[in-house]
Amino acid sequence: MATLEELQARITRLDDIKQVEKLQRIYGYYLDYFEYQKVVDLFSDNCESVEVADFGVYRGKAGVKRFYLDLLGGKPPRVGELSIGMIMQGVVDIDPDGRTAKGRWYCMSIEAKPTISLHEGELRQLWGNGIYENEYVKENGKWLFKKVFYFLNFRTPYEDGWLKVPVIGQHGSSSEVPPDAPPTNYAPYPSGIHLQPHYKHPITGK
Amino acid sequence: MMNLEDLEKQVIRMEDIQEIENLQRRYGYYFDTRNFQAIVDMFSDSADSADLESFGLFRGKEGIRRLYLDDIGRGGRPRYPSESWISTVIFQIGGVVNLDPSGVAARGRWQTWLAETFLYGGVPRQYWVHGYYENEYVKERGKWFFKKLFWNVTFFTMFETGWLTQPLVGLLPMANPDGPPTAFYPYPSGYQFPYHYNHPITGE
Amino acid sequence: MNLEELEKSVNLMEDIQEIENLQRIYAYYFDLQMWEDIIDLFSDDAESVEIVDHGLFLGKEGVKKMYWGWIGKGIRSANQPWIQFIITQIGGVVDISPDGKTAWGRWQTWLCEAKPFGAFPKQEWLHGYYENKYVKENGKWLFSKLHWNNTFCSPFEDGWLKTPLMGLMNYHPTVKPDAPPTAFYPYPSGYHLPYHYNHPITEK
Repeated sequence: MATLEELQARITRLDDIKQVEKLQRIYGYYLDYFEYQKVVDLFSDNCESVEVADFGVYRGKAGVKRFYLDLLGGKPPRVGELSIGMIMQGVVDIDPDGRTAKGRWYCMSIEAKPTISLHEGELRQLWGNGIYENEYVKENGKWLFKKVFYFLNFRTPYEDGWLKVPVIGQHGSSSEVPPDAPPTNYAPYPSGIHLQPHYKHPITGK
Repeated sequence: MMNLEDLEKQVIRMEDIQEIENLQRRYGYYFDTRNFQAIVDMFSDSADSADLESFGLFRGKEGIRRLYLDDIGRGGRPRYPSESWISTVIFQIGGVVNLDPSGVAARGRWQTWLAETFLYGGVPRQYWVHGYYENEYVKERGKWFFKKLFWNVTFFTMFETGWLTQPLVGLLPMANPDGPPTAFYPYPSGYQFPYHYNHPITGE
Repeated sequence: MNLEELEKSVNLMEDIQEIENLQRIYAYYFDLQMWEDIIDLFSDDAESVEIVDHGLFLGKEGVKKMYWGWIGKGIRSANQPWIQFIITQIGGVVDISPDGKTAWGRWQTWLCEAKPFGAFPKQEWLHGYYENKYVKENGKWLFSKLHWNNTFCSPFEDGWLKTPLMGLMNYHPTVKPDAPPTAFYPYPSGYHLPYHYNHPITEK
């Protein structure tokens, strides 16, 4: 039978998983409403980076601010602009020291966005799909983002579908708000390249 | 107030549910990254069956291997770069997991949404697919495994047409099952895929 | 931590798990049009239910009117097979009150529906957010208040940009709400459904 201490550790772990899931979902809801400052405030001051699709790597808290506030939030959302990210299927693993964690999530996006550039141009309705492999850190009893990595699978016009038009509206790194490094892993459909999970097989351990 | 033993039982229960939810989600990710051996390894050696859509019923661990490795995994034949457009994205959504009082068995109802692409009748097509799971899990040597996977398809439509216009593109190429599918009644049949659980409030 | 505190922690986690399950079970009943079972998931002291622009329905009576009278048309479960509801429950953020008796949950939903609109059968994409309230009675969690805020309701053939709202659904010849909808501002209004929670880090 377990001791009180062992039970406490196990309960803490279960609670940590729920807290990380909650953090990830709250992130998604803030992004839906373009509330970029609130998103930035979910990152640790010692965070590592954010890398989304082909925008490139933005390092540290300064980079995170530049990405969300200056790049994505560079202009206020226009009438009719929509970017709903349905984040689901989270597999969260808490590291043995209980201080960091990793999570894999799917995201299905419903968008109405310009495609000729990030902010300018006619709005198109788009389906998007991608995978998050994120890292989290626990500071003063609260979980925050350490690293966000979003691997784009497809981003297609509503009228076409991913088979016909796999990616639209991705123009690489911005020259106005440049990243700290080029993208590390941008290989959307139909590259056949899959973003591997952070976790080992639960049975075989491979 | 609870004693230590009762508290431990509760903790084990919570851990079991979390592990089963993760097992199901990992299944989805392994399928999409085409790691079919990893899927087979998540089934118990005493697995009951897998019943998928119109593929049919596959019995036992041997049937599971046949389904995932030989049929879906095409016998392990490596893919050509020109085949990289063939893909699935299966979202595992909304799991309701219930543990058996024994603590070594469980059931889960999930729904799935798919964005899929493959050849059908020689033509590359893109699909929206929806289906429900009623799966069974078993705990062996302290770990949870799939015991039975039952994927019941609601509709299998083309991106261009939609479920009302075209609920079912057609029957999938036949694999070599052990039996016909137990309940392949896609929309708009009105078939209601039974729940494994009773009503949480009325108990009916 | 001592045993009592640990017990409280575990109870809290079980509460969250149960509420997540309750929300998903609601959706599965909705998919199968089992309106009576849905009504039985609500507390007898339920506050209200509000869905799209049908209006505000108060109390348990209002809940019955909404699900049985309006949505269910007084028909027990899927009587018209081509009518399809698929409500995927995504991303629940659940918060339990300090006394452990009430809770709030924010979810989003994505729907693929097929139902009549006027004289025509239509296939539709819908999106919406929930901000729901739950209450614990006799050790079980039930719905106290359900508010589904519709983002868009678009025909499959058009998409949300082209046709964000197929039309109004704010009139029923016999089933009358207790008040007009409290917040029906679909896309592209830019309306933000307020969060029940503060920012987890800044706490604003």
